[in-house]
Amino acid sequence: MSQLSPILPFHRVNTLTGVRTARMVEDPKDLVKQIKKAKRPLIVIGPLTTKITLGDRLLIEYAIDIAKAGSIPICATATTRAKLLEYGIKPDSVYDVVEIINALKDQEWKGVKGEGNHDLVLFLGIRSDLANQGLSTLKHFAPHLSTVTLCKFYHPHADYSLPNIFKDEKWKAILEGIIENLKTE
Amino acid sequence: MELKEISKRLEEVYQKIKADINWEPVGPTPMPELPELRNWDMRLLKTYKPFYAPFCDMCCLCTYGKCDLTENRRGACGIDIATQQARLVLMACLIGCACHTGHAAHILDLLIEKHGPNKKIDLGEGVAVEAPHIRTVLGMKPETLGDLKVAIEYVYKELTHLLSAVHTGQEGSYLDYESKALHAGMLDHVGMEVAELAQITGFNYPTSVAETPLVGLGWNAFDKTKPIILFVGHNPATSTAVVDYLRENGLYDKVEFGGICCTALETSRYSDRAKVVGPLSRQLFFVRSGIADVIMTDEQCIRTDMPQEAAKVGSALIATLEKVMYGLEDATSMDTDEIVRKMVDEKKQFAILDPKKAAEVAVKVALEIAPKRRKEWITEEEAKQFAQKCGLCGLCEQVCPNLFEIGKGISEVAKGNFDVIRDIFNLCIGCGKCEEECPRNIPIFKIMQQAASKEVWTIRAGRGPIMDTEIRNVGAPITLGTIPGVIALVGCSNYPDHRDLAEIVEEFAKRKYIVVLSGCAAMVAGMWKDADGKTIYEKYPGTFDAGCVVNVGSCVANSHITGAAIKIANIFAALPLRANYEVMADYVLNRVGAVGVAWGAYSQKAAAIATGCNRLGIPVVVGPHASKYRRLYLSRKEEDDWKVMDARKKQIVDTGEPSPEHLIYVCETKEKLMVTLAKLCIRKNDTPQGRAIKLNHYISLYKKYMGGGLPEDLHLYVRRDPDIPLVYKKEVKAYLESIGWKPKEPVGLPTWIGTYPTKVPVEAVIH
Ligand code: SF4
Ligand code: SF4
Ligand code: SF4
Repeated sequence: MSQLSPILPFHRVNTLTGVRTARMVEDPKDLVKQIKKAKRPLIVIGPLTTKITLGDRLLIEYAIDIAKAGSIPICATATTRAKLLEYGIKPDSVYDVVEIINALKDQEWKGVKGEGNHDLVLFLGIRSDLANQGLSTLKHFAPHLSTVTLCKFYHPHADYSLPNIFKDEKWKAILEGIIENLKTE
Repeated sequence: MELKEISKRLEEVYQKIKADINWEPVGPTPMPELPELRNWDMRLLKTYKPFYAPFCDMCCLCTYGKCDLTENRRGACGIDIATQQARLVLMACLIGCACHTGHAAHILDLLIEKHGPNKKIDLGEGVAVEAPHIRTVLGMKPETLGDLKVAIEYVYKELTHLLSAVHTGQEGSYLDYESKALHAGMLDHVGMEVAELAQITGFNYPTSVAETPLVGLGWNAFDKTKPIILFVGHNPATSTAVVDYLRENGLYDKVEFGGICCTALETSRYSDRAKVVGPLSRQLFFVRSGIADVIMTDEQCIRTDMPQEAAKVGSALIATLEKVMYGLEDATSMDTDEIVRKMVDEKKQFAILDPKKAAEVAVKVALEIAPKRRKEWITEEEAKQFAQKCGLCGLCEQVCPNLFEIGKGISEVAKGNFDVIRDIFNLCIGCGKCEEECPRNIPIFKIMQQAASKEVWTIRAGRGPIMDTEIRNVGAPITLGTIPGVIALVGCSNYPDHRDLAEIVEEFAKRKYIVVLSGCAAMVAGMWKDADGKTIYEKYPGTFDAGCVVNVGSCVANSHITGAAIKIANIFAALPLRANYEVMADYVLNRVGAVGVAWGAYSQKAAAIATGCNRLGIPVVVGPHASKYRRLYLSRKEEDDWKVMDARKKQIVDTGEPSPEHLIYVCETKEKLMVTLAKLCIRKNDTPQGRAIKLNHYISLYKKYMGGGLPEDLHLYVRRDPDIPLVYKKEVKAYLESIGWKPKEPVGLPTWIGTYPTKVPVEAVIH
């Protein structure tokens, strides 16, 4: 679960703007442990994955590999469906980011597979202002699930977030680490 | 006792709205107070549930707190996180509504002083229904400027009650806060309409014409060899006085004048020599260029550091409205020549609240100081030299609210490559944070400007109200669905991409939708030329008709867009509108395929406008920035209540058809926005022919942007075979068969009246 802000003054409500912030995770093994614990994970793929190149691959390819390695169903937001189809992947669901968040916050929702709501949701490639607002919705209104962000900026409203990453190689290594660790039992 | 009180209030209301003048019967809700439209709101909120994205975990509104509202905690006053968000949204709507209504009241007083209270409101021969909002909400037909005062006083009163509701320990339900926000939104459109009626009447703005003049757009539209006066803000009281002064003193073509934000649009309705520099996001850039000799501020969306910024570049500054006085000395009663002398010799800045005096001072100061000032952009070589100081420390990038790689852009400039910084400029909101942070004091703005396009574009001057004749022409095709929809692009800049708006306009105008624009959106859409060198305003006619592109005017002109929706119900469908808000809103929601888009950052005024659209049954899509407004109204199409009354059969029918699907919604990319807009134009009232046309666009846009195939929810919008567009007949039928789709009867006359507690009888919606 998320942690209290790491720099927590004693009279915290008088000094902070937020009191629950994401646990920062850098080690792919730790993240994969969380993912594997989940019964019904989901990965939400945003449109920046079709614009950002990491190493010599599009970010969306990393998302696809994560989904494949962990057998995680995909929710395609905005127009990412088109790109996924180019890679021969038919997404398990197509929603805009606010729609999927609206569904996720309903504990009774059947999930993208109709098997029940998800208990862990990975996000990649959503512009950070919009993502942070959506994560706030889930933090406040969806205590039944945890959220993980895989973008290169720290997302305080998530439950688990990567730190701010200034070198793309480091980000690439983390994402590849996740893929590798998901593959091995 | 209570009954007597109520009837006494009604008696007063009847008197105010001149109920005895029988132009239409007075409907059930003249000058509605808070509870009167609450049932309508609750009906809206049942299907379109509030969705909250808190910006902050806490509330810090009073000294019982701060209060931590996470994990079901309540504040010291008892409020929970959802209700707190709704309260903040209400505050935003109140601020927005107060801005428009304050502007309206100020300009109305000024014009009454000039023309007298009995000056007749005359919007030309094309417009008989002059005030759809005032008629619908108040139940009054305003005939003179003096009559408009009644509307202002009504809005003032309601605003006070609404504002009091946000105090610590008042309302405890988020739904009721939403109902209050919807009320504020409705009032906002009344306030805007007053401003428009007063300005058109008092300043003789164009009305009852579609093809208004094309005026120069962009910051190079000014002739820099002449003195330049720049207006910043929204209220044309002083800018029009400057035009008058120039005309009366033979200086009309010797001084350049124009503006940023809505005063620019207002002034261009008064004089086609006025230039439109650009939207809010260009304000700081242009001011820092020092091109303006005199800057005149009025109200709303003006930078609060204008005196400092103007002083830095040697532009003179006059604050012309009491709402923004910057701590300056009030020189309203000082001798004109003395003010001029002090401004020229001592570089003093003043507040001058008398428009005529302010105008005279501005012109005189501009004439004196202009010849002594350097007014050029920096050269490419200078930009390169500045950029070479960059140490790539990245501090600018950390403070940019848009997360741009500015340092990278600057370091590329040092090598002579302006492409990166130009791209950043095109998306930049102009906040100035990057330049403030740079430890090497690099003039990032000046460098961006050097890179920016020096193009001059055109914008069609705002045309004001949609004519009744136009409504008669398009009423049938819009409600039947054969004109597939009305798309209104409104609100502030900047946008996810500067070309977005022009591209959206193109896509929908070509598809024969009616495209309407206002405010900053109208400017930015004009800042693009096609291969033949034409802007959208030169390409498409300005009529309110299929495939046309209409600029109604400034922010307050948004009231004409929503007003047109009401007029369709009133003029085309002949439903009485007088004090008949629910019937109008119900008609618009179920039968008028109109959608608003606020694609950029989103001021409180935009929040009020959008919420007012929502109460009237018009869905709005906002861009990703606007998710920060914390609240959306979303449905869940598979689960929510899509029942309507078939007014002819008097039967409640479960349509299962999510039209329109959401009331206020965020899209992340322009491409997805286009697909969504086509879908949000679908209405239950569509004829088979109209539905087939709308689905044709929905499917074709889906194929274009979503990678082929058919929309996942297509089956929900196909009622029977004739709804299926011919071009996709085979594919759609095969798909419907594969999922076991069953046909259903279209509803003859869909309405919500009769599905929730209301005083309005079902008969009232039958025309
Ligand atoms: S208004 Fe209520 S929640 Fe906000 S600080 Fe005061 S007591 Fe706390
Ligand atoms: S002025 Fe533009 S580039 Fe600079 S910080 Fe603001 S948004 Fe970013
Ligand atoms: S803050 Fe100034 S020196 Fe640092 S990267 Fe940005 S432009 Fe260069």
